[in-house]
Amino acid sequence: MSHFALEVDDISKRFGGLAATRNVTLRVKPGERRLLIGPNGAGKTTLFNQIAGDFLPDSGAIRLFGQEMTRLPTKKRVRMGLSRTYQILTLFPNDTLRHNVALALLGTEGGGWSCWSSLAAKRDMMARADDALAAVGLGDAAGREVAQTSYGERRRLELAMALAQKPKVLLLDEPLAGLSADERETVRALLEHIPRDVTIVMIEHDMDVALAFADQITLLNFGQVVLEGTRAEVIADPRTREVYLGH
Amino acid sequence: MTLRGSRFWALMSLFLIALPFALPSDYYLGIATHALVLAILALSLDILIGQGGMTSLGHAVYLGLPAYAAAWTMQNANWPPELAIPFAIAMGTAVSALFAVLSLRARGLGFLMITLALGQVMWGAAYRWVGLTGGDNGIRIPVRPPVLGIDISSVRSFYVVVALALMVALVCIWHLERSPFGACLRGTKDQPKRMNMLGHDVWSIRFLAFVFAGFWGSIAGVLYVFDYLYVSPSSLSLPQSAEALLMVVLGGAGTLTGPVVGAIIITVIKTVVSSYVDRWYSLLGLTFIIVVSVMPRGLVPGLKAWFAPKEGGAR
Repeated sequence: MSHFALEVDDISKRFGGLAATRNVTLRVKPGERRLLIGPNGAGKTTLFNQIAGDFLPDSGAIRLFGQEMTRLPTKKRVRMGLSRTYQILTLFPNDTLRHNVALALLGTEGGGWSCWSSLAAKRDMMARADDALAAVGLGDAAGREVAQTSYGERRRLELAMALAQKPKVLLLDEPLAGLSADERETVRALLEHIPRDVTIVMIEHDMDVALAFADQITLLNFGQVVLEGTRAEVIADPRTREVYLGH
Repeated sequence: MTLRGSRFWALMSLFLIALPFALPSDYYLGIATHALVLAILALSLDILIGQGGMTSLGHAVYLGLPAYAAAWTMQNANWPPELAIPFAIAMGTAVSALFAVLSLRARGLGFLMITLALGQVMWGAAYRWVGLTGGDNGIRIPVRPPVLGIDISSVRSFYVVVALALMVALVCIWHLERSPFGACLRGTKDQPKRMNMLGHDVWSIRFLAFVFAGFWGSIAGVLYVFDYLYVSPSSLSLPQSAEALLMVVLGGAGTLTGPVVGAIIITVIKTVVSSYVDRWYSLLGLTFIIVVSVMPRGLVPGLKAWFAPKEGGAR
């Protein structure tokens, strides 16, 4: 048993002539809050896609709590305790918030093959969906359709769907993207209240929130790790400035 | 206002019971029976289109193939209908599973083209394999045989069989829509990537939906050959597939009543109006153009929005 929650071991990925990921190694401890930063096109989301299993790395290995998952299909990774949110909202717009969360629960718990029983009659699942919504402050909105909610509420629904799955490792891809100052504060507080038995890897551009949240920071550029360290170390390092200001 | 729950079922039952009394003659009841058989086909196709977001142009396979299977086994192998019917449904469903594996390699236009190609293969086989299918002449059944000792030879008795089958299909598909599987299927339509990330097996969900559609299509296919007492390559043809698609789109994909309404309208235009108007295909096209320009989501959702209280949701 490895003592890392998530271990990305020397993975590389090329798309034709473009090296999207170059020998990236990432070791995240259980309960850690890891922040991934880097300019646009640095390969942060591409790295998430490989951890999630959207596509496979050309070389290297990915492990969850020491368990090999480099070539597993996404659904197996989810069963092992991996969840993810998206930078671009990826919700089910014609359904209620409650059913959006129910789809997340069906994904981890199974039960999605039942063709005769009514989903709404799964009272236990509906109650847990409502709990997950209440936990992000959307308890009153459970019966509303996604189309009738604000952008800020949808961001929180993204989070509720991932948290409802009770993940061990949670990948957050810009959970604050596009939010107003007030809404950012709400989401920041929510993130802070996620218990420490959930390990979090987050991509975020809002440095005020992200830096305060993170234990460890990894700076990526051109698909490779430039440096890694605590907040103070990364801020003080001249290479950070170089990557962001490109002087 | 939406027709939900008990009100929907009461109205639908009332409509099916009243129809034989309301229509002036057996001739019209026969046309109503044709329409309801095709309504089951349209409902089955809507599992793919309305729920799963997979537009198929080869759904006539599940009308024509079981029709041929039932006709051939009864006429050429002297099977009793009690054996021929389950065999035909099983065969149609098995072929849908095979074709699902082939079609689900692609999405969108690619999926459409593969279903179209598979449909054309089946049509070509029916047309050319004269020894098996009788080619252009098709297979004729002289009289409608009794099933389980029940005489269904009259127009009225066969109408009852079809009306009951339609009710059963509606109940099953209604349950499917409200079930966890239905929610998952609609999820794969809207956000396949997210469904995958939530831990669902998107391919298998689509596969199962395809087989469901094939199963209910095969029920329609068996009723079709018992209705017309005749099957020819046209039952497998592209125009037949396109007609089923038209019924779904015209009535409203993703609704329970839409495909039924679409099937009735198109059958009426095709059989009743065509005896007064020569260019009925043009009329069909014109109807379609008008409906999709005024109500792009189809007649049933369109009319619902029309009559809905104006403050909420109606565009």
